[in-house]
Amino acid sequence: MPAIECRNLTKYYGDVRGVEDVSFTVGDGEVFGFLGPNGAGKTTAIRTLLGFLSPTSGGGTLLGHDATDPVASRRARERIGFLPGDPGLDRDRTAEAFLDHQAALRGEASREQLVDRFGLDESRRIADLSRGNRQKVALVAAFMHDPDLLLLDEPTSGLDPLLQEEFASLVRERVDDGASVLLSSHVLGEVAALCDRVGVLREGRLVAVESVSDLRSRGGKQVRVRVAEDVERADFEVRGTMNLRVGETVSFTWTGGYDALIDLLSNYTVMDLDVVDAPLEEAFMTFYDGDVPGPTGDGGGGATRGGGASRGAAADAGGDAR
Amino acid sequence: MSDRPAPWLAIARYDAAGRARGSLVVTGLLSAFLLLFLAFFPSLSTAGIDLDAYVEAFPPAFQEAFGIIAISSIEGFLAVEFYQFAWLLLVGLYLAYLAGGTIAGDVASGRMDLTLSAPVARRDVVIGRFLGLVPLVALLNLVLPVVAYVGVLAVGETIAVERLGAVHALAVPYHLTCVAVGIAVSTLVSRPGIAQRVALGALFALFMFESVVASTDYAEFGDLSPTAHYDPSAVLVLGEYDLTGAAILLAAAVVLVALAVVRFRRADLSG
Repeated sequence: MPAIECRNLTKYYGDVRGVEDVSFTVGDGEVFGFLGPNGAGKTTAIRTLLGFLSPTSGGGTLLGHDATDPVASRRARERIGFLPGDPGLDRDRTAEAFLDHQAALRGEASREQLVDRFGLDESRRIADLSRGNRQKVALVAAFMHDPDLLLLDEPTSGLDPLLQEEFASLVRERVDDGASVLLSSHVLGEVAALCDRVGVLREGRLVAVESVSDLRSRGGKQVRVRVAEDVERADFEVRGTMNLRVGETVSFTWTGGYDALIDLLSNYTVMDLDVVDAPLEEAFMTFYDGDVPGPTGDGGGGATRGGGASRGAAADAGGDAR
Repeated sequence: MSDRPAPWLAIARYDAAGRARGSLVVTGLLSAFLLLFLAFFPSLSTAGIDLDAYVEAFPPAFQEAFGIIAISSIEGFLAVEFYQFAWLLLVGLYLAYLAGGTIAGDVASGRMDLTLSAPVARRDVVIGRFLGLVPLVALLNLVLPVVAYVGVLAVGETIAVERLGAVHALAVPYHLTCVAVGIAVSTLVSRPGIAQRVALGALFALFMFESVVASTDYAEFGDLSPTAHYDPSAVLVLGEYDLTGAAILLAAAVVLVALAVVRFRRADLSG
């Protein structure tokens, strides 16, 4: 039995498309990632599966229970943990009172252990907590009843890097214990670090489902480099470079291998170098522009802030990547 | 798991606990308000003015709106100056306003997402939020009769305990209806601020409507207003207890909560 089965899920808000014809399956014990920029429909898909929104058409199951049937879905929710990126908490209550209430609704087998692990001070009023600490409260609420299925919607948006790491290891432990996970994010790195497979949402449609290992080979790196020499723009307009910006620092999205990047930079005296996973808005969508109907290449240019030259490079690179 | 309370009960408890401080403050303020008015009574009753003749001269609609039967006795004075105004109008509107913010507020803040991601039915949420305001209604109607009684004795007057008890006992169904109006509006209007004002405005409009039509041929339409079924003046001054009115109010509260459940079951949580 799959943990989640989503069949042709469509949700329109009036005339506005939330998601359209989204189908995917999350296997038992699998970590499935929803990837896409803000507004792509990740949250709509998750909230529709949880029954907060009624689908315009299509449907799905959670842990084998019909997600669109209130009674069946309630049975599924006994074993579900949900963590939104910006959870609605009662600001004028203490974390303890809030968690007591959540515990009364869903159970609290692991509450104490989680509170200790994340160093949460339960006695404080939620309004007095930092954004990261508020997210911890919601995190404890989502995990404390040892759910079999976790729906995590941009879960780490308020957490600092150290906590993100702690969160990731918590998710991995729960998966080792047999839990399944649907995680949405707009950060490629986060998804790549945790997920087995990834579904890419774009304007409400699921445009690709791939294993993370396939995705990794396509993913880009964002490179910012400062060199001692003067830089000619043309020197960096090579295969593998996208979204090139040349100024005091040179920044671009790199889609080639590391060796090729090192070769490219070896012509210069590197003063400062920063290589990070490219955020989706900058790089990832560029690859998928060619996959959706409509003008190719130019759409990718919309996501880049570069001039005409980088626009051309983006289109070329997009072609190469395919 | 069986050791967990029913979701509606958990929601009601949590909600009531969150209102504990506010409820005590409101109870204190209304007690002070009542005592303030009672302090005026001795000077008023010894002033030698025929107040009853004075209010008799008011237009019928005005008399109806403020439930004026007699004002010179302590019962009439309390009815007009406190119960007709504070208990019928002020507390009623306040309860409708509070209830108006409940469900709409939870949905708008995203709190509803967390609640409903637990094994909780939407019905549990509506009933729980309704019941969460019951302790406030109970507190007000248990504390204020004591304050009123002590206050009346303090100004050297006496009042029938039975009537004082009845004016509060009969206020409970009325106040529950006001809460139910707010809950129902809260499931219809998605923005909490608007829902609160609509609930308050609707109750006030019904009150005005009832007052205006009372002295016309359409008086029976005034029965649509909850305020038509609770008459503090009749209880305090005449000792008339409108049990039918109380039953109608309780039934209306049940129907309004049921409608709220039906409506909320189908609602998309805009989030």
